[in-house]
Amino acid sequence: MKKKITIDPVTRVEGHGRVTIHLDEYGKVEDSFFHIVEFRGFERFIQGHPYWEAPVLVQRLCGICPVSHHLAAAKAIDQLVGVDPKDLSPAAFKLRKLMHYGQIFQSHALHFYYLTSPDLLFGMDAPVEKRNVLAVAVENKELARKGILMRKFGQEIIQAIAGKKIHGVAAVPGGVHKTFDPKEREYFLSGKDIPNIKTMIEWSLEIIEFIKGYHEKNRLLLDTFAAFPSGHLGMVDDFGNMELYHGKLRAIDSIGNITLPDVSTDDYQKYFLEGVERWSYMKFPYLKEIGREKGWNRVGPLARINICNAIPTPLAEKERQAFVSFTGKKVNNSTLYSHWARLIEILHCAEVMNDLLHDDEIMSDDLVREGKPRLEGIGIIEAPRGTLTHHYQVDEKGMITRCNLIVSTTHNNEAMNQAVKWVANNVISQKGAITDGMLNQVEVAIRAYDPCLSCATQALGQMPLKLELYNHIGELIDERFKSN
Amino acid sequence: MNDLSQIKKTLLIGIGNNGRSDDALGWKFLDEFSGREDLYDFEYRYQLQIEDSELVSRYETVIFVDASHEKLEKGFSFYTCLPAPTSAFTTHQLAPETVLWLTGELFDAPPKGYVMAISGIEWKLHFGLSNQAKKNFKNAIAYFKKEESSIV
Repeated sequence: MKKKITIDPVTRVEGHGRVTIHLDEYGKVEDSFFHIVEFRGFERFIQGHPYWEAPVLVQRLCGICPVSHHLAAAKAIDQLVGVDPKDLSPAAFKLRKLMHYGQIFQSHALHFYYLTSPDLLFGMDAPVEKRNVLAVAVENKELARKGILMRKFGQEIIQAIAGKKIHGVAAVPGGVHKTFDPKEREYFLSGKDIPNIKTMIEWSLEIIEFIKGYHEKNRLLLDTFAAFPSGHLGMVDDFGNMELYHGKLRAIDSIGNITLPDVSTDDYQKYFLEGVERWSYMKFPYLKEIGREKGWNRVGPLARINICNAIPTPLAEKERQAFVSFTGKKVNNSTLYSHWARLIEILHCAEVMNDLLHDDEIMSDDLVREGKPRLEGIGIIEAPRGTLTHHYQVDEKGMITRCNLIVSTTHNNEAMNQAVKWVANNVISQKGAITDGMLNQVEVAIRAYDPCLSCATQALGQMPLKLELYNHIGELIDERFKSN
Repeated sequence: MNDLSQIKKTLLIGIGNNGRSDDALGWKFLDEFSGREDLYDFEYRYQLQIEDSELVSRYETVIFVDASHEKLEKGFSFYTCLPAPTSAFTTHQLAPETVLWLTGELFDAPPKGYVMAISGIEWKLHFGLSNQAKKNFKNAIAYFKKEESSIV
């Protein structure tokens, strides 16, 4: 019998998600789909705007990662004015990098402390009223307090460079428009006004110890929950080390064979295609040479750690080595390890910010370079959730004629579908009805990749997550609906 | 970034969006007090966020100013804001009561809190207040200026 249950409040996934699960006549899961059914279409409406507006306009794709969109667009716009990444002034490069690492630091802090930690602290079956950061604030004050202050640190780095924590403006074509001043630097280094960068490094190490402890007690869960083979994609520097601002694209398959051998970001079109499905507005990018079925890749922290040879900061590299030792240096294909990988990246970002804050060049006024204008620009960056591509073409007056965005969530589309399928097959199959705990496990699987679905389709606002169960003749037999 | 070595007594937080017609009321209220930096610090926000719990812990008094969908009797309502956890929230926005509650839980005794809610009518994409919102705004400002010395 059809029944409808409403769950209130919605928790910790932003964007419009719908999951449908189809059962056979024995109640076994036949298939499942993770749908993104909201559409906004930035790629289209940005056409006709002058190119220099792009880094400002595209930030509105997202309230969590606007800096990533701002900088990916800025890198593309640099090329339109004839400035490649190597041609940026050292100061502009370092200021952009500082803002970018501040962005990843704050976004990862939000992802882990605000959105993920309730699942780890209270369990996936905990009552819904406990599965939020307010409950964390009551039961683990130190963790909540440090999470808030870490996010604040990253946001204030962004604010110092871009003027605002959200939707500020730092990059201009060929550089940045503002330098750091000594007073601003002192603010982040001294520890007088806010916990300083050294404290951020200490707290990053502490939270890695927390997840190691969790791993020790819950290794089977981490190893098995939504574990499935996949490709992994990310950016590396010239030495194959992790690089988040500018590098080359590398992909590997589920056992570590190279499937994309450190290629220039400018050539991404040679290697990638995007598939579409009638049941989702979100596309499915894949490597052309391997094909739609097997050529898709996970992106984000787990993928980045899987593909890189090393992390170029000492403390994070030590943690990476500990992380990979658990799989005997084999590729890690287990979804929940994304959180551990994310925390290693938090530490890496803190170390990079520390280096940059001690670099006098961030106070230089050599901020903008010029070159010979071009009609096409490509900017690829590692955003918190993974590889982010912005690609623009302009006419001779500088008006945008074509825009292609491949956001991190889109790369993870197939992985999120696979993760949902895993929960459907292993948690929901042959159970007959959907419980709240089951629904949360679907969310846990999605959330490990992305807590925010909005930018993948550029959806407006917060939308519900809906889970539907169909029987073998296509009748809806149960549904759960999470709304605000 | 606030200069925390010279922190002021009272924080005015304007919540809203000036591209959304009457949703600009919160920001406009703060504009009215520009030049009064001796007494106030100002924060312009689309929404309140979790980190604001740390920010407000540094003040003795915080006043949240926001447009209201409700038709309020005098066109506005000024009331004491007491700390309280609310269960329905996203990572993107919190209620003023929840911000104060989090402050108390995680940082320090929460500051004295007030909410100035001003009735709005129009919420479409538009710069500028509706005529009714202008009247409500005027009333709210007049009230606040009259009572200011007893509030801050």
